[in-house]
Amino acid sequence: MTDTLAAKPSPTVTEKPEGYGLRPRRERKGETLVPWVLMTPTLVLLALMTIMPTIYLLRASVRNDTLLNTNGRFVGLANYSNALTDPTFWHSLLITIGFVVVAVALEMLLGMALSLPLAGERLSSTWGTTLLLLPFAITPVVSAMIFKELLNPNYGWVDYYLGQLGLPAHIEWLSHPTTAWIALIGLDVWQWTPFVALILIAGLQSLPGEPREAAAIDGASTWQMFWHVTLPQLKPFIAIALVLRTIQAFKTFDYFKVMTGGGPGDSTEILNLAIYRIALQSFRIGAAAAIAILLLILLSLLVPALLRGVGRNADPEEA
Amino acid sequence: MTDTSISRRGFLGAALALSAAAATGCTPGVKGASSSGASVDANASKPAQLHMLYATAEANSAAVQALLPAFKDKFGIELVMDTQPYDALQQKVFSEFASQSTYYDIVIVDTPWAPALVAQLEPLSQHIGNSALNDMADVDVKDFIPKVFYDTAVYNAGDPIKHFPDEASPADVAAITGAGFDIYGLPLQANAQIMAYRKDLFTDSGELAGFKSKTGKDLAVPKTWDEFVTVSQYFTRPDKKLYGTTVMAGVGDWATDDFKSMLAAYGGQGRLIGDDLSLAFKSPEGTAALQRYVDLINKYKVTPPGSTAASWDEAASLFDSGTTALTMNYHALELDDAVKGEIGYAVVPQEKTRGPHFGTWMLSVNKYGGNRAWAYRAITWLTASQQQLTMTGKQLHPSRTSVYKQVTSAQNKSEAEFYRVLGDSLAVGVGRARLTNYTEVSAAIAKAVNSAATGSAAPDAALNTAADQVRKLLTDAGYKVPG
Repeated sequence: MTDTLAAKPSPTVTEKPEGYGLRPRRERKGETLVPWVLMTPTLVLLALMTIMPTIYLLRASVRNDTLLNTNGRFVGLANYSNALTDPTFWHSLLITIGFVVVAVALEMLLGMALSLPLAGERLSSTWGTTLLLLPFAITPVVSAMIFKELLNPNYGWVDYYLGQLGLPAHIEWLSHPTTAWIALIGLDVWQWTPFVALILIAGLQSLPGEPREAAAIDGASTWQMFWHVTLPQLKPFIAIALVLRTIQAFKTFDYFKVMTGGGPGDSTEILNLAIYRIALQSFRIGAAAAIAILLLILLSLLVPALLRGVGRNADPEEA
Repeated sequence: MTDTSISRRGFLGAALALSAAAATGCTPGVKGASSSGASVDANASKPAQLHMLYATAEANSAAVQALLPAFKDKFGIELVMDTQPYDALQQKVFSEFASQSTYYDIVIVDTPWAPALVAQLEPLSQHIGNSALNDMADVDVKDFIPKVFYDTAVYNAGDPIKHFPDEASPADVAAITGAGFDIYGLPLQANAQIMAYRKDLFTDSGELAGFKSKTGKDLAVPKTWDEFVTVSQYFTRPDKKLYGTTVMAGVGDWATDDFKSMLAAYGGQGRLIGDDLSLAFKSPEGTAALQRYVDLINKYKVTPPGSTAASWDEAASLFDSGTTALTMNYHALELDDAVKGEIGYAVVPQEKTRGPHFGTWMLSVNKYGGNRAWAYRAITWLTASQQQLTMTGKQLHPSRTSVYKQVTSAQNKSEAEFYRVLGDSLAVGVGRARLTNYTEVSAAIAKAVNSAATGSAAPDAALNTAADQVRKLLTDAGYKVPG
């Protein structure tokens, strides 16, 4: 037995398992085709739906094409230059970023606050979680139309009930920049906080109980357990919710189109409204493509940064 | 044995090629032969169907749909009508023409789109002169309201920004083609901004006495902007949730349209931008018009809360619900049952002159279509006097003078009054500038109107800001703006 054990070389030091060496095993003919054939539908779909439109977008952004003008020509970076030297572009970009930061921050905070009581396995939690689904089951454009009616200063419910509560009841919500932003962010928070909460509830329910039990035995307070145990363990889920919501918030369009049209003045003129107007009403495809690419670059830089920031030490084992 | 393995690069290349083939193959046989309009064969065989792309409520699709059985009886052809709401329709129309699709034989076109689309539409002047193509209905272009016809359908395809120089005379095909223009559709559903008022209030003895007592004048439907302000102030009773008038000062085309009408009334260029690309809205007349508009909201306070966020939908709802005594709109109006009132109509007030905003849809023939002869016959029939008269039963807004003559003598007095006012408004109305990016330009001006209305900028400063933005928008779209 001893001889047998001693004679057996350690596989981890001097030899690698089969198929793990520097020289790959010579594949038999036809063997490589199978995975590619299986991947074909996905790759074709990816090419059709993502790669080709992106290539088209890049090409369009360096041309002065309009939808009906087949005589567009290469204009280099002129479309980008036009956008980047246009004060309205920077105004729209800044308020878009402002909207995303405020709305997503509120949704993360409220989502966390909702998820903690609803994560327990109780009947009331099940009902609460089910009710949470309702707001984001509604089409955003419909939500916006309903909110617009609710906020109507002549017959809307919001002003009416504010009055019933003895609060200022004659607010023209969509006529002033501050109140218009409150209405728009309020709608976004109402619709998307449940989405964040559901991700965090799923995260909370999947966390191991031992660290919290250990902390409780050590005498940690509820706040200490949340801050030092639960929150670090929850970071991967927070990162997912944050990234998804950030991307979604940058794509917001319906609320602004329906409720304010970019007004009052240009105070809520987010970038997507400008892109819509240029691309789908004036059909200046080149100009719109350049702005869309700039937004894409911004998102491409932002998302990894967010993941690095929030995802640091996100592995529960390392927390 | 055949080697069935492929390289990764080869596979990806094949996949991309397949994708490209699939993409281009998505619209098989979509491209049609371009046409100069001269090659239409009047003896072309009759198709089983014609396809028409139409708007929904914006161009009163219900009125046209009601005619479809009669069309089939007359032509022996089924007219298949697809309807889309405004934004979706615009995108559908442009994408159809961008792909040179042959699917739709007839397409409805709104005036803001026409400058970009005119090269895709079948020119009709030769068809109008071809008696063999006019065997189903009398096209009689002289019968169209001249301003409506020229503003809607007459374009110089080589320079679509230009308007026909004489828009007051009855349409004359020879004069049109002689000046380098052509006809690109036949007008239908002519909309104009008109004033509506609560006739029950204006005839109420208590109100008549009250107005006399308060102003020393007889209560009458306002004809001037000064009278409009006086009447609006009289009816403004916030404690009773009654206000003088609506305005549509939210950011959108509606604000631009409100401003257009006032600009024309104050003697300015109601199209906002001249055919020479001069920024006519930035003028003393523009400032005066916008100042008066803003005063209705902030100085005289005769508008309901929320007016600076209102579109034509909200304006119509406010009037319909009895919240205002007056309105200016081209939305269909109908007082709620609870109001128990009656609507009267009048042309919008004047200052130096009047020029209510108008815009008309036209039915055009797809120049890539395969049934152009029958499509032309179809639009002549659909826009003919008799058909338009029939469609007034469904509240169609006609485009022909002869139809107005008949409907204004109708027994229904309210209906007759509406059509008389609409006809009068169309006769003096002012359309839009002909720009391929009119929507962007309109949005910039709407923001200026809204900024002034909300008090965040003075009218003059707001118009200056709009002028800078419009100049850039026009330059970006390839126009050479003077000065």
